[in-house]
Amino acid sequence: MNDIGEFTLLVALATAIYGCVAYIMAARGNRIDLYLSADKTPVIVWGCVVISSICLWRAFLTNDFSLQYVWAYSNIELDTFYKFASFWGGQKGSLLFWTLLLTTYTVVVHFQNRKKNLRVVPYAMAVLLTIIIFFLFLINFSTNPFERIPLPPEDGRGLNPLLQNYWMVIHPPTLYLGYVGFTVPFAFAVAALLSKNLDDGWIRLTRKWTLISWFFLCMGNLFGASWAYVELGWGGYWAWDPVENAAFMPLLVATAFLHSVMIQEKKDMMKVWNMSLVLLTFVMTIFGTFITRSGLIQSVHTFDEATLGYYFLAFLFVILFACTALIVARLPLLKSDNQLDSFLSRESSFLFNNLLLLGIAFATFWGTIFPIISEAVRGIKITVGPPFYNQVNVPIGLALLALIGIGPVIAWRRATFSNLKKNFFKPLAAAFIAAVAMLPVIPLGSRVENYTYLTFILCVFVLACILIEFYKGTASRMGLHEESILGALTTITWRNKRQYGGYIVHIGVVLIFAGIAGSQAYGTHIEKHLKTGETFKIRGYDITYEKLVAVEATSVKTRVIAQLQVERNGSHYWTARPEKEFYKGQNQPVSEVDVLSTWKEDLYMILADFREDESATIKVYVNPMVSWMWTGGWIIAFGTMISMWPDRLEQRRRLNRFRKEEALFPSPAQE
Amino acid sequence: MQLLKILFGIFIASWFLVHTPNISQAGALLQDLENALMCKCDDKCGKVLINCTCSTSDKTRAKLSKMLESGLTIEQIIKSQVDKYGETVLSAPTKFGFNLTAWVMPFVALIAGGVGVRKIINSWVGKKEELDSQDETQEKSTPGKYSKRLQDELDGIEL
Repeated sequence: MNDIGEFTLLVALATAIYGCVAYIMAARGNRIDLYLSADKTPVIVWGCVVISSICLWRAFLTNDFSLQYVWAYSNIELDTFYKFASFWGGQKGSLLFWTLLLTTYTVVVHFQNRKKNLRVVPYAMAVLLTIIIFFLFLINFSTNPFERIPLPPEDGRGLNPLLQNYWMVIHPPTLYLGYVGFTVPFAFAVAALLSKNLDDGWIRLTRKWTLISWFFLCMGNLFGASWAYVELGWGGYWAWDPVENAAFMPLLVATAFLHSVMIQEKKDMMKVWNMSLVLLTFVMTIFGTFITRSGLIQSVHTFDEATLGYYFLAFLFVILFACTALIVARLPLLKSDNQLDSFLSRESSFLFNNLLLLGIAFATFWGTIFPIISEAVRGIKITVGPPFYNQVNVPIGLALLALIGIGPVIAWRRATFSNLKKNFFKPLAAAFIAAVAMLPVIPLGSRVENYTYLTFILCVFVLACILIEFYKGTASRMGLHEESILGALTTITWRNKRQYGGYIVHIGVVLIFAGIAGSQAYGTHIEKHLKTGETFKIRGYDITYEKLVAVEATSVKTRVIAQLQVERNGSHYWTARPEKEFYKGQNQPVSEVDVLSTWKEDLYMILADFREDESATIKVYVNPMVSWMWTGGWIIAFGTMISMWPDRLEQRRRLNRFRKEEALFPSPAQE
Repeated sequence: MQLLKILFGIFIASWFLVHTPNISQAGALLQDLENALMCKCDDKCGKVLINCTCSTSDKTRAKLSKMLESGLTIEQIIKSQVDKYGETVLSAPTKFGFNLTAWVMPFVALIAGGVGVRKIINSWVGKKEELDSQDETQEKSTPGKYSKRLQDELDGIEL
């Protein structure tokens, strides 16, 4: 089976090269025969990569330690659940997984556009296949997951204990689905440049792809934060680690693209800008991969055998150079008749929203690469950690939060004073009331506390802006059609999915801002060394350390569990069981925290240390409003689903457009 | 608007009445130190001391706590750590010399971008105004073309 897996990867590479060349020649020379031949290659490449992936999964599930990769990331005792996830636990498998997702997306694009958009699609397929070729080349010749061990050992080294968490099955695939997904809009953008079809056709074709990729990247970031929160045991969820930054930057650029693209759709403006943003998003995804796989920047996420840095760096430069050259060459065609009615308009607010999003992306990028710059200039390597990012990004983030409220409410084209007064009086009044109401109860003084106070005020302002929009729409529908509140609300949302879906996403973002602010400013923690029966207090909780239990979970894993009783107002509240897990052959034990999460705060317990006399060191964090962030994430998911839901009217319009195009440019099969 | 201004004034006044700056406590000093320094464990975990859970970080915390108790200031403790481990022990770049560029650059870029966006918007608005004024001039050059036709048609309507 391993031979089959290795062989199919070679076949996939050869087929992808042929397909890429054939697509380009077919597009440039109007060669229908070549197009029909190339038309089969995406499916063949996908089939080969699927077979190869199945072979690797089989090797993991059957404990085939003759494969170096399986030996390095699995062992006999590993749960089947984690054996399945070990596929992407290391560099070799993660690249194969990336390729599997990319080929799957390519096949979907292929079937979606088989008989449509024939002026653009061959180029887009060629771009997708070029990227597949790059990854297949690495897998085949530099980091082959089917590399053998001459004398297979009886057992494997096992998966890193930190990765043995259920999020390992969810977080990397979600993030990869986002990362890889942006290849599709990128491919269509390049195809539009190559084929000189520079109207908004490529944007319409890739809108759903952009939204889906954005959604997965957003969820991937949140799942990563959630994983860090429950696994790393330091009471936090985001450490501004270079690899976290690498996943965050494309999300910011893609968010800017999602907003500015609306201006192109509505007013046929900003073509160069949108083209640049979609290319930059893809470049950022490759930059993230470069960071993880180069070992150049120190990160907890870097793969053990990070050796592919130069390949990715070269790929990055080729993409940057080629795309910049293409945009410059097509500048005369990308020129649009840019006109704005007024400085005070939604278009302007979107431009400033883009500026702030890119500002945060740039600050994050700058902080990530500054250690390298410092080493190159001064010969001294420095660290750029959370204090830098918090000080730089928080003020920009707050301005962005304000714009989330302003953007959707300010009028398109021209906002007059009376119009502004009408739209913003109520949200501003709500923000003011909130500011006064919070003043006596919220601690102020330090920079963090002041920022938090401002964040809460802005959250109220933005929420008021959005809720008033919902109210206006619902009330006018109720007045016109005599519907119930729920009926009218559902109808307006369903009939304007993009608009109201977007509003719901914004509500989710507001909750995330509030959650971050609350947990950063008002959290507290305590560390106590306790003997059994001892009690201590933290924020109204009485915590009693009861006992310590050791359990042999498997032949390679021992769990040491501390039991603590938590009382509140004299009555039993919760039994906490934080633990430490010891894995055979691993130096450091892994902390498994226990968390009781409520809407108000999380009670977060860590077993930091223990001694033979059963005394234990317990760390307790009280983290306010953390659950707001996760709730915000689910609301974002819900809003994105609504935005992406197929619109019958839009589908009908698109069908008519395709029919017209079909009549003008018949498909090769028809010819 | 007048009402808003008055309310805003009340709000600012009450802010100053209610709040006075907090004075840092001893625990907060240790927390500040833990935020300012990186963990220097053998595993090169790359975490800020306050976020690190390894055994080295516990020892470092205890050591820092003793240093604070001995009367050393935060600045002195940080300097001693920099002398021992180099600048990498700091969790953020210093705010002088070349490192200042790390702090300044994002804001310079943002301000430059802001000026650029403003200029672009102004030029686009200017272009629109220019076109509108051209249209108006054209309309003025053919005065009454439509109004005359409208008037003729209205005159033709028999009530």
